[in-house]
Amino acid sequence: MAPMKPDLALVEVKVKQVIEDSSTDTKIVVLKNEDGSETLPIWVGASEGQAIRLAMDHAVSPRPMSHDLIRSFAEHLEVTIQHVVLTDVKSSTYYATIHLTSKGVDRTLDARPSDAIALALRATRPIYVTRDVLGRRTAANLDAWVAKLETKNIET
Amino acid sequence: MEFGSARFRCHLDENQRLSIIPAMITQMRVKGLIFDPYNNAYIVVLRDEDNTDMLPIWVGKSEASAIGLAIENVTAPRPMTHDLMKSFLDVFDAKVISVVITDLNDNTYYAKIHLTFEDSEYTVDSRPSDAIALALRTSAPIFASESVIKKQSSDELEQWLENLKPEDFGKLDS
Repeated sequence: MAPMKPDLALVEVKVKQVIEDSSTDTKIVVLKNEDGSETLPIWVGASEGQAIRLAMDHAVSPRPMSHDLIRSFAEHLEVTIQHVVLTDVKSSTYYATIHLTSKGVDRTLDARPSDAIALALRATRPIYVTRDVLGRRTAANLDAWVAKLETKNIET
Repeated sequence: MEFGSARFRCHLDENQRLSIIPAMITQMRVKGLIFDPYNNAYIVVLRDEDNTDMLPIWVGKSEASAIGLAIENVTAPRPMTHDLMKSFLDVFDAKVISVVITDLNDNTYYAKIHLTFEDSEYTVDSRPSDAIALALRTSAPIFASESVIKKQSSDELEQWLENLKPEDFGKLDS
């Protein structure tokens, strides 16, 4: 079986920043494609956002965090984390899949985007979003909205 | 079910075996989850079968929530981090056989997760909060080494716990 290749409809994105949403107890993970022309903000819980921020900074904590533990399971079982895909959005809940390979066999796990992103960053594996999900962003002026947030609340 | 300590020694030679026998482990149960307002943290209270030994473990809010959901048997609409951890192991037929709280240094606890996968045994280093959250979801037994139980200053803590009102334990103390 050939290694799983991302579908052509997948767009690779990177985590640009994690912004505090001061009005709620949540954080916003801002994903952007290579040339910055597409932006996808995802609302996550405070601790999920924190896990992503730590992974972005390549922060090494004295004890393994939960996503380090999943990576450690993968290493012990000789499972390769290939990539993660943000696959769907239903009534503002996002869905993700984690693609794994073990001895040439591909496996897919259902996950929340926050776990998928944190794991991908920890394992330095690519994050993809389907064109479909990118196309279903609700607000047309999201970029302007994110820009406005950034001026007030820049993550350093 | 019986969980002897023999399985943890099976790969050791005779000398190592002699040195490891005094370091006994005790099976513990999660008795409750208490909010500690002084430290703005949560305490996972572990007790042994006959309630003679107690081990409190301070954890953060999100770690407490991961343990709390498992104690109350709540299934979240989307898989939480430890549900993902479990499905990761399930999809490869890896099994959690036990978790052990092994050490305490400068108020940091250490734990080991024992797995079986394709007839081999693996020991994975983890934080106790992750180990407990995973053990509760996989119905794996939780052990603590006796050195850890002895190290914690129990007198002070017993007193602290006695001062807590019953409702602080909530419905988790089942």
